[in-house]
Amino acid sequence: MASLTIDNVKKSYGKTEILKGINISIETGEFLILVGPSGCGKSTLMNSIAGLEDITEGRILIADKDVTYTSPKDRDIAMVFQSYALYPNMTVEQNISFGLEMRKVPKAERDVEIQRVAELLQISHLLDRKPAQLSGGQRQRVAMGRALARRPQLYLFDEPLSNLDAKLRVEMRTEIKKLHKKLGTTIVYVTHDQIEAMTLADRIAVMKDGEVQQLGTPQEIYDNPANLFVAGFMGSPAMNFIPAKVIDQNGTPVLELEANTTTAIPFPRPESLKNHIGKTVLLGLRPEMITEPQPHKEGQAFVTTTGVEVEVTEPMGADTMILTRINGAEINCRSNPSYLAEPGSVINMMFDTSKAVVFDPKTGERLDF
Amino acid sequence: MKNNAIARKTSGVEKVLRLALYAVLLIMAFFYLMPLVIMLITSLKDAEEVRNGTLLSLPSYLHFDSWTKAWSGACTGSTCTGISPYFINSFKIVIPAVAISTLLGAINGYVISLWKFRGSDLFFAALLLGCFIPFQVVLLPMAQTLGWLGIASSTTGLVFVHVVYGVAFTTLFFRNFYQSIPGELVKAARLDGAGFFTIFYRIILPVSTPIIVVTVIWQFTQIWNDFLFGVAFSGFDSQPVTVALNNLVNTSFGGKEYNVDMAAAIIAALPTIIVYVFAGKYFVRGLTAGAVKG
Repeated sequence: MASLTIDNVKKSYGKTEILKGINISIETGEFLILVGPSGCGKSTLMNSIAGLEDITEGRILIADKDVTYTSPKDRDIAMVFQSYALYPNMTVEQNISFGLEMRKVPKAERDVEIQRVAELLQISHLLDRKPAQLSGGQRQRVAMGRALARRPQLYLFDEPLSNLDAKLRVEMRTEIKKLHKKLGTTIVYVTHDQIEAMTLADRIAVMKDGEVQQLGTPQEIYDNPANLFVAGFMGSPAMNFIPAKVIDQNGTPVLELEANTTTAIPFPRPESLKNHIGKTVLLGLRPEMITEPQPHKEGQAFVTTTGVEVEVTEPMGADTMILTRINGAEINCRSNPSYLAEPGSVINMMFDTSKAVVFDPKTGERLDF
Repeated sequence: MKNNAIARKTSGVEKVLRLALYAVLLIMAFFYLMPLVIMLITSLKDAEEVRNGTLLSLPSYLHFDSWTKAWSGACTGSTCTGISPYFINSFKIVIPAVAISTLLGAINGYVISLWKFRGSDLFFAALLLGCFIPFQVVLLPMAQTLGWLGIASSTTGLVFVHVVYGVAFTTLFFRNFYQSIPGELVKAARLDGAGFFTIFYRIILPVSTPIIVVTVIWQFTQIWNDFLFGVAFSGFDSQPVTVALNNLVNTSFGGKEYNVDMAAAIIAALPTIIVYVFAGKYFVRGLTAGAVKG
């Protein structure tokens, strides 16, 4: 059963189009993340699902029921806001029970529900406090508790973690994931943080300029980005884009890399490059695919080792990022910290192109689909 | 050692500066309090003493007769009831006018800040214009309107006038205060199932205390001190105390009773003085409350 269907939804203010025809459908229990840079329309889409903003065209269905013209309170949804939006004059308990009270749930049932939610989120000891007396993380929990108490069809999370400090954010992220696994709720979650998107989502919708650029599982989006924007947006450090000339090597198109020496590297789907021989394409290669030479990979089909000049190194503990330059573009490589890389020196690096992708340098579209 | 010497020297200079500061403050306080002090002194003298003594000479002993007379015996025009009935009239006007204009301002501000509609900014701008229209401009049209409504020369009429004039200010106050309330609060409440008035009553109003205090003080002072509307639109038995005070001072049989005039003036000013003494700090606090996100 589809829990939420967004059917060709458009939204414009005057002549400005905010949403240009969004189509997304999610199953019950699915965790969907809308991710994109600010101004991409993700929050507008969220507000439209909630019914807080009217849409110009299209339909929204919740649990197979058309709610396009239904008021927010009748859509059976709950929302967690970035600012938490806790009612400042009410205690935590009153905050949680307000929605139930508005829906005329009897007091006894409300109390049972408050206890259930409070235990679930470990906020039982905070029930008598006012929001001002809570820390950021506690407010976050209360905000989620308020949403959970009503047991709606659909949960909307609007950048819920962006007001927390880095450490707490990671903790709450795990918490939300656990909660989702435990309760099996349907969640639509907006964020601009691609790590949040990768770690939490069942599926991700990457948005830009009011359009969904790609909808897929986190791994699909990471490995198989639909275009240059998605490739650059997802992953940290970002994917390397190397302008490379396609040359013909005994009938097989290969890509030419110019580092310390000129090397031709193979591409896993050479047939897709046939029409581009002699032209320059953008080769997309994740940093972890450019490493120190690893003996066990030696001799594999799409592995090439070549010398590069080290510009800067950034030790990150688990890995060391090595910055170099290939075909004039800055390139991030992820190497083992034990691999000696002096800035200015030339060292051997191993290029694994088995997961490489290519883009059209002008349109940014994938060429090898 | 050297540091200590410098510290001692600075503290000497600081002491002198501090003294100078206090001197200036005292002079200012004296300057502002003088009229009140003179009024108080004069009201406690008897007529003889007022005529013979100087402005600043203290009364030989305290006469409270002039206060009694001002309250219940002095003549305003042809009636000699003191200013007490008019004092009560003022309350009859001020209390409903303050209550209604504050409530309307709160609802207006709530709508303009948190339920923005197409043209709500324009609506606010138009309303704001009301703050800049001088009283005199509306006197004639207002008289006409009150006539049409059948509430001319009545307490109701005066309440109406003050509400109409006050709404521009009260809306401005509440709108600015509510501007600092995150819109997500209203969104959350809507999703929780609360309606327009439930949200206002249960969520917005409980956090509005600082601005309610400011608005009530402002409106109370404005309406209590109003003379022009009072003199123009009141009937014989609905005159506010400001008008009565004017009549009292202008009515004299023989010599001018400055002591009674002063006592009456102090009585007329007392409610606003009391409001400021007791609620003044909330007023300042409330005025700045909107500026910092609470």
